[in-house]
Amino acid sequence: MRCRPMSLGGASMPTRIIASAKEAKVRSIILLLLFWITPIYAVDTQPPIRFGLTAVVVTENLRFLDQWSEYLGRKMGRKVELVLRKSYREVMDLLNSGNIDFAWICGFPYIQSREPESIQLLTVPVYRGAPRYHSYIIVPESSPHHRFSDLQGKIFAFSDPDSNSGFLYPLSLMVAREERPETFFRQTFFTFNHAETVQAVSEQFADGGAVDSYIWEYLAIFKPEMTEKTRIIKKSPSFGFPPIVARLGASSNMVRLMKSTLEDMDEDVDGKALLAQLKLDGFDNFPDSLFNGIRAHANKVKTIHSSFSALTD
Amino acid sequence: MPVFNPKSWPLAIKLPLTITAVVTVVGFMIGAVMVMQDWSRFHEELGEKALLLSESVAITTPKTMLRKDYWSLYLSLTNMRSGKHKIVTAMILDVEGRIQAHLHPADNPMGLLFSPVNSIEQDLFKQAMAAREPIVISSGGYSRTGFQEGVVPLYSDQKYLGVVRVRLSVAQLYEKAINSALIVLALVLGFVIIGSALGTIVSRRMVEPLTAVTRGLEAVGRGEMTDFAPVPVTERDEIGRLSTTFNQIMAELAEKKMLEEEIAMSEKLVALGRITAGVAHEVNNPLAGLLNCIDTLRQHPDDKALIDRYLPVIDQGLHRIKDIVYNLLVGLRIEEGDEIEGIDHIDKLHDLIGAEIGDRDIQVIWENNADKDLQIPGKLEQIVFNLLKNAIEVLPDGGTVAFKMNLDGAYLNIEVSDDGPGIPADIRNQLFDPFFTTKPNGTGLGLWVVYRLTQNLEGIIEVESEKGQGTTFHVAIPVNTMKAA
Repeated sequence: MRCRPMSLGGASMPTRIIASAKEAKVRSIILLLLFWITPIYAVDTQPPIRFGLTAVVVTENLRFLDQWSEYLGRKMGRKVELVLRKSYREVMDLLNSGNIDFAWICGFPYIQSREPESIQLLTVPVYRGAPRYHSYIIVPESSPHHRFSDLQGKIFAFSDPDSNSGFLYPLSLMVAREERPETFFRQTFFTFNHAETVQAVSEQFADGGAVDSYIWEYLAIFKPEMTEKTRIIKKSPSFGFPPIVARLGASSNMVRLMKSTLEDMDEDVDGKALLAQLKLDGFDNFPDSLFNGIRAHANKVKTIHSSFSALTD
Repeated sequence: MPVFNPKSWPLAIKLPLTITAVVTVVGFMIGAVMVMQDWSRFHEELGEKALLLSESVAITTPKTMLRKDYWSLYLSLTNMRSGKHKIVTAMILDVEGRIQAHLHPADNPMGLLFSPVNSIEQDLFKQAMAAREPIVISSGGYSRTGFQEGVVPLYSDQKYLGVVRVRLSVAQLYEKAINSALIVLALVLGFVIIGSALGTIVSRRMVEPLTAVTRGLEAVGRGEMTDFAPVPVTERDEIGRLSTTFNQIMAELAEKKMLEEEIAMSEKLVALGRITAGVAHEVNNPLAGLLNCIDTLRQHPDDKALIDRYLPVIDQGLHRIKDIVYNLLVGLRIEEGDEIEGIDHIDKLHDLIGAEIGDRDIQVIWENNADKDLQIPGKLEQIVFNLLKNAIEVLPDGGTVAFKMNLDGAYLNIEVSDDGPGIPADIRNQLFDPFFTTKPNGTGLGLWVVYRLTQNLEGIIEVESEKGQGTTFHVAIPVNTMKAA
């Protein structure tokens, strides 16, 4: 990860402090005041930066989201508002309409062609050393099924029709067999939330499901009683991790600031604590080619996608 | 054992016990009714809650069903679990009975026809599918496995889409019902304790005067009336009136008893005076003659003819005095002489009377029907002898005296009759008076002794007589007195 000097006005640190303990204390109080006053002043003058979140992260932890938005706001000198929506599509609509400037979306919506293009790749999370993740095909722990093909005629849970790991990947598996979801499975449904897909499979409401490996592993740490009731029967090849995108029309200063703020999170204590909660190593700059794997899958299923998307309407 | 026989218990115990028992029974019956009412109310409320839950699910269900958003349907069921109710099961079925969502998805996979596990479930399933407006169905009554189920049919634009079923367990009522039953039990116990205490106080107030009255009456039975303490009268109710009346009666009885004692005392003095006068008179009469004889004999010590004439007179006079003294002793010292003897002593009197009759022409009829083993007091022998002797003394030659004795239940009956001249009516009242006699040489003590002895044996003596028709004396002695004597 690259090291960058801290560039935010209120948060800039003196290079060296050589003084008595008392002097140091007074200085630190003054610094603290500066540190606090500037963002508060800024918040009052500018509208908040709106940041869209989807099911790529576990959004139930509201206290974490508050800490994160507070952190981002403090670093950027502007209030940051995290906007939660149920589906990727809703978040994409907000991006397209200019209601939000940033969003953490899935690779699949990112690679979909838009006329005109309305988003740009901002930064990509680094998860366990690489900007990559998988799709897991899971079944209930007690399930007799061991292969994806065993799930034929069963009930299958998808996460989001615009999710790579939760929809596009299992779709590609069916396309390889020249099957469509409505013919391959007896019943399918969308949970619009990877965590709820895990829940649906763990409670045996679905005979199988497709989830984001990052979310499954996250739950394996924080809600092991849920993931213990599931079993992974198939891991996809690695894909580019769900990226953070910026609206093309957003101010370039703000975009730059957001990029650097996110990519520098691993360089201070608060940022590291937040990353630890997210179970991420950090954010970093990666080329668009990272998502070519998803593009290839999308092309494979393009033939049936148009008809299948009707399911989600 | 009298202790275990409630009939022998005092009213002071029986009345509070009865009141306590009645209060307890009534209290517990009311308590039981309250508990049962609580149960049925809780049960009804459970049904209403199940229906409410079903209805709350059913609000959004039709739209979600039409969108085939099975996950949301399932969440609408699982979300109910976060409430405090113990949901046995819940399901959403479509018009054909296919499972759209079930709280236990492992056993009831979505998309398949719901298959009831037994005939009861089959019946409930039919009821639920037939419901066209919200209803409550239930099974298992009040048992822990029982449940109440809210069934709400689903409609969209008046088209029937299926049904929501939410089932709540009766088991969750148990804690509530037990708590309420404990409160009722505590209330009932309180009621019983207060009721019993009041009952005891009231019954004691009622029984105390009764006990006092009873003690008073028992004292009357024992003849102790003078040291009677009046029953305290505190109220003017029935018990108060009873106590007042009783006190009055007791006071009057005590007065009467005192008067009687006074009368008895003066009668005793009168009788004593009469006896003393009789003794003086009866003993004095022969004494004058005797002294006269002795005086004459002293003047003519050598007159053999005079000696032969006067000695029998002296002898006769002394014997008469001896007889009087003997009879007085027998009649006055009756408390002594409690000896018991066989009944054959009575039969010996037959011969003794025969000797008394001597060569006179008097017939004796003897009839002893009493048990040969019977033991009788010696006094009875004296009674019979005196009566027989009395009879033969009045009988002219050719007369008949009859003796009959028989045991009749608790009494030994003796009958001595003669066909003599009879007793004139005007002297019958004096028959048993001491020194009353119609015979020229009688002491007037024979029948008096009979009367005294009969009285001492707690017997009854009656005389039946008519002038010229003979006389019959009836004596009845209670057998138990003979044994005691």
